[in-house]
Amino acid sequence: MATTFKTITANDVTNTRTLLHEAIPLTGTIASGTYNDENIKEFSHGMFQSVYDYPYLSSSANHIFDVTHGYSSVSALSGASSVQNSKKINIYNQMASVLVGHDAVGSIQRFDQDGNIAAGGTKLNEAFFLNFSRLLSKDEIKKDTFRMSFLTGGTPAARTDTLTIGDYGASTSYLVNSPAGEYAVLYTSSATPNANSGVGLLYYQAGVAVLTGSIFDGDMGPGVTSGSYDALATGSNINVMADSIRNRLVDIDFNNTVELNSTIYFCRANHNEFNYSANPTYLSSSQIRVKNTTSDNPVSYITTVGLYSSDNELLAVAKLSEPLKKDPNTELTIRVRLDY
Amino acid sequence: MAFLDNSGDIILDAVLTDTGRLRLAKGDGSFNITKFALGDDEINYELYDKNNASGSAYYDIEILQTPVLEAFTNNTSLLKSKLLSISRTNLLYLPVVINNTESGLGGAAVDGSANNRILAVAVDQTTVDNLATTAFLGLPAGVINGVNVAGANSKSIVFDQGIQNNALGAGKDVALDADLVETQYIIEVDNRFGYLADPNGNAATPSFIDDDNIASYFLSVSTNPEFFENISQTNKSSNDNVLLGPVGYRLSLLIGPSTNLASSTYLFTQLGSSTTIRDQALSYIAVNSIDTTIRVTGATTGYRVDVPVRFVKS
Repeated sequence: MATTFKTITANDVTNTRTLLHEAIPLTGTIASGTYNDENIKEFSHGMFQSVYDYPYLSSSANHIFDVTHGYSSVSALSGASSVQNSKKINIYNQMASVLVGHDAVGSIQRFDQDGNIAAGGTKLNEAFFLNFSRLLSKDEIKKDTFRMSFLTGGTPAARTDTLTIGDYGASTSYLVNSPAGEYAVLYTSSATPNANSGVGLLYYQAGVAVLTGSIFDGDMGPGVTSGSYDALATGSNINVMADSIRNRLVDIDFNNTVELNSTIYFCRANHNEFNYSANPTYLSSSQIRVKNTTSDNPVSYITTVGLYSSDNELLAVAKLSEPLKKDPNTELTIRVRLDY
Repeated sequence: MAFLDNSGDIILDAVLTDTGRLRLAKGDGSFNITKFALGDDEINYELYDKNNASGSAYYDIEILQTPVLEAFTNNTSLLKSKLLSISRTNLLYLPVVINNTESGLGGAAVDGSANNRILAVAVDQTTVDNLATTAFLGLPAGVINGVNVAGANSKSIVFDQGIQNNALGAGKDVALDADLVETQYIIEVDNRFGYLADPNGNAATPSFIDDDNIASYFLSVSTNPEFFENISQTNKSSNDNVLLGPVGYRLSLLIGPSTNLASSTYLFTQLGSSTTIRDQALSYIAVNSIDTTIRVTGATTGYRVDVPVRFVKS
């Protein structure tokens, strides 16, 4: 019996899971200077700034990360006289609620310096938050690849003291006690990190870096407003804080991860299969063009693989980059991979 | 739709079709790949030079240089010609499927040119009356009455399958090899415009309507005998004088108009145009028209025929 379809059996299908990584290099000037802040979007609510890779009014612009600042209501910086005090507390609580979670009585827990929440210890009561867009972080940030450099000293006019922060050692040592997935402590050096040397937290699946403000020991104003971190955190709004950290950013580098689930269909054409064609040009008055006599081998040329449902609907299609010759002397296995 | 880069290793460019994505989105398990087919849409076998003086290595050199187009997602536009598995390698002739306009409905004349004919469906009673005219009974040749679905002169659209020459003997004397006989067809009709009906005018039930509103009807000899007639080694296989060699089954069908076409000119305005068609009194009358294609594909042999059809409304 002639046939055009071949059944795919269980032996012809396999599923695979592949982790793909891409390097994401972000130069600091993209966040301050390259586009004269035309790529920095501010909002009337003043709760955060969005950084784009091109002036955001252009349709070519891609959102790359958001930056904001907040502190806990128990922070020494919190007070009725502080500018945008409630908004800074709201930001902190929102991020803490999502990333740290709640305690047994439903209270929002604060960011912990070493991630050991149950043990108490030092809390990060004031923090910058860098929320990376999913375009960059994809499924998650790859562990032990995150490096971020800032100029932490000097003045707005003459910034100095490059400090590199990273999730050193996180490929083997990360934390899982967050409702937002896995995270690790950010350190200033790979040398002997300990419970007291953490300067922030990096949430891999959420794509959020939490950075303590205490690393900025100099005059950290953005160039317009000058002052120490504490003075700016109380006396300036969130946009000014975001300006400050953007202008001190040297670069950010990390690798992202995409989890690729694939189904591979092995389409096997045995020697006695698919040697003829229903192509309208295959016949001339019913005679097969590629044969002179009955003893000649039939020949066909494969350019397309179609994957069908049981009711003959074409669900997926694969194209070969060049025609493949098929005759009774050849057997072919074409591997079609569908990624999800 | 660009060509694929063929300068290096052979690569596969795979995509889900629009129907595939629709079924995946439904999440009801209907996205279930159970079989595959191979196609050769880009190949022109006329380029196979089996008499090339340089030897057999040069027979298909032009075919192997054929650039292949990227995959695209319209499920009805791909795999138009499939490769065929037949265990025998000694076949020199393969059957074709042709639209038999001698035994079945031919075309209706649309202007003064004798060659300019098209199968037409009169979608409502007014159109039927105008085409039949009061002085003459019946519709002109090539027109289907869309009100009580029936072809002019009680004819259907007829497809015969068989060998298109008499090298293996005449059809009335020789049977088509059993493994080459087509016993099941897939008929694709644009569901916005019309539906498939059997030769008695009874509407068939589509197997599936895809996201582009293309209805697929799966017909087989065993479950839809009203569409089939075995004309192997009968007088019909010789008197029709269309296929000269052994033949298999004859497929007969009709097309009815959708309710939308029958009751409204909306689709004619959106997608159609104005044209003329010759009535039974041999006068040309102005009508609204929509042109579409009925696709008939042999599910066993993969052979495919496209038949242009024009829906007309006065």
